[in-house]
Amino acid sequence: MRTEQRLSLPILLRYAGMIIIALLLVAPFLWMISTSLKSPESVLRMPPEFLPRPPHFSNYKTVMESMSIGLYFYNSVKITVLGTIGELIAATCAAYAFARMQFPGKKIVYTVLLATMLIPFQVTMVPVFIVIRALGWMDSQASLIIPHFFGGAFATAAFGIFLLRQFFESIPRELEDVYQIDGGGSFRFLWKIVIPLSKPALSVLGLFIFMGIWNDLLSPVLFLSSDSKMPLPFGLATLQAASHVSRYDLLMAGTLISVVPVIVLYLVVQRWVTDAFLRSGIKG
Amino acid sequence: MARSFSRHKWYEPWLYLAPVLIGLCVFTAGPVLASLFLSFTHWDVTSAPVFIGTANYSLLFASQLFWQVIGNTGYYVLLYVPCSIIVSLGLALLLNEKLRGIAFFRTVYFLPVVTSMVAAALIFGWLYNSDVGLLNFLLGKLGITGPRWLEDPHWTMPSLVILSVWKNAGYNMMIFLAGLSTVPLELHEAARLDGASPARRFFGITLPLISPVLFFVLIVTTISAFQVFEQTYVLMHGGGPGNSTLTLSFYIWQTAFQFFNMGSASAMAYILFLILGLLTLVQFWVRKRWVFTQ
Repeated sequence: MRTEQRLSLPILLRYAGMIIIALLLVAPFLWMISTSLKSPESVLRMPPEFLPRPPHFSNYKTVMESMSIGLYFYNSVKITVLGTIGELIAATCAAYAFARMQFPGKKIVYTVLLATMLIPFQVTMVPVFIVIRALGWMDSQASLIIPHFFGGAFATAAFGIFLLRQFFESIPRELEDVYQIDGGGSFRFLWKIVIPLSKPALSVLGLFIFMGIWNDLLSPVLFLSSDSKMPLPFGLATLQAASHVSRYDLLMAGTLISVVPVIVLYLVVQRWVTDAFLRSGIKG
Repeated sequence: MARSFSRHKWYEPWLYLAPVLIGLCVFTAGPVLASLFLSFTHWDVTSAPVFIGTANYSLLFASQLFWQVIGNTGYYVLLYVPCSIIVSLGLALLLNEKLRGIAFFRTVYFLPVVTSMVAAALIFGWLYNSDVGLLNFLLGKLGITGPRWLEDPHWTMPSLVILSVWKNAGYNMMIFLAGLSTVPLELHEAARLDGASPARRFFGITLPLISPVLFFVLIVTTISAFQVFEQTYVLMHGGGPGNSTLTLSFYIWQTAFQFFNMGSASAMAYILFLILGLLTLVQFWVRKRWVFTQ
């Protein structure tokens, strides 16, 4: 580890650059927050008000109640939490088999699984739609939840299996030997040792899966039609398309509500995110 | 490698793999084959599919709109991929220093990545508003008359690219940071002592050493760029002015689920698949002579 550098001109310039770029990247979020607190008249005023006075906190209440953002929020939480649990279980079990067991065809199965990451969703979209219809899950949230227990309908669990396998393989063999002598089976070893030791990896993967499901637009667009079942992204996109008179104050309030949970979750696990990127071994 | 759980029963790994393998068959492998078959049929969902040979493909190749869609998609990819890679590499280089507060900046730069594309598109749609949008107001302050971002067909695609770069740059930045952390500091120190300029050190040391990472990012970014969908769905409600933003992904979705022409949609999906496969092969071929390996 290098010693902390003293402040010099190049370092000050670097800080200045980092701050300016941070502001540029955050500006759209700040504008969203500012707009979400405006009155309908103030939204369209030129030059724009940057700090709305007085702030209209009632916008949030309005969108939660009369624009069914509250309902979409509930749908999103339900779909995402259940889906994330399902996909984490599926990925953990598969990664465990690849990391700690020997079986014929292991290499081929693993390669095929990873190769699915290269298949564009358009290729499988129509047949998956037919499968969901055949299963009787059209316009039901089951179509957005149950596939995740099998690794997901479009974004397969391949990346997660890849990430977890690296972690699981790093658990020392000796632990397993001790465990086997004590008469523990493979499932107990997974449950008692592997999962507790892999919390950082599981948290990061959980975040990525959560993000993927929370932010997904494609699956609900394909499988859902009832307004009352929609998760947030589909609900917001539909609201925007439907409202010809643009109420940007309300739209931004709804958008803000949809963004906050993932950002909070990210801030909670972010200290492990960089580490996961380093560990994923992307070196070509 | 450690042979682990040598005493497990033969079926145990398959039990652990069962959910994912079932999913693989039902949601990926089966569908990949099914859509290949569908691409040779005419099917409107309500009646049974009729085998029509390669008619879907020849109709597409004769369609002017299809070629426009291919052109739009290519334009987006060519504009987005270099912009995105340069921006994210720039961000990574900026943050690749052990300074106080660097973790804070990494977190901030990653925020757009965790945001949904729908939310990002809604925010940018509002920023781009040509009458009361913030962007044109700020440009006006600088004495520039801003374009009609989402209405002028010349600006629609760049607008989508700016949005996508903002939203995704942080992801590749993290991958580049991981790559940069493997570049030995001693090399830079030695070059600095020899009087090499920062630019020379970047092109002479950093770039060759991270070329495997760059290659990985190039492939993944290209593949994802070809699948641009949500941006056009939210901001353009379809093709946009003069179909200027009608991309392959959106057109496939529209053909399948608005026009119910599953055969043609499957044929287009396979054309996309083929393009991506060929591009990946070309990139692997280029990799041999371009990527630096120790």
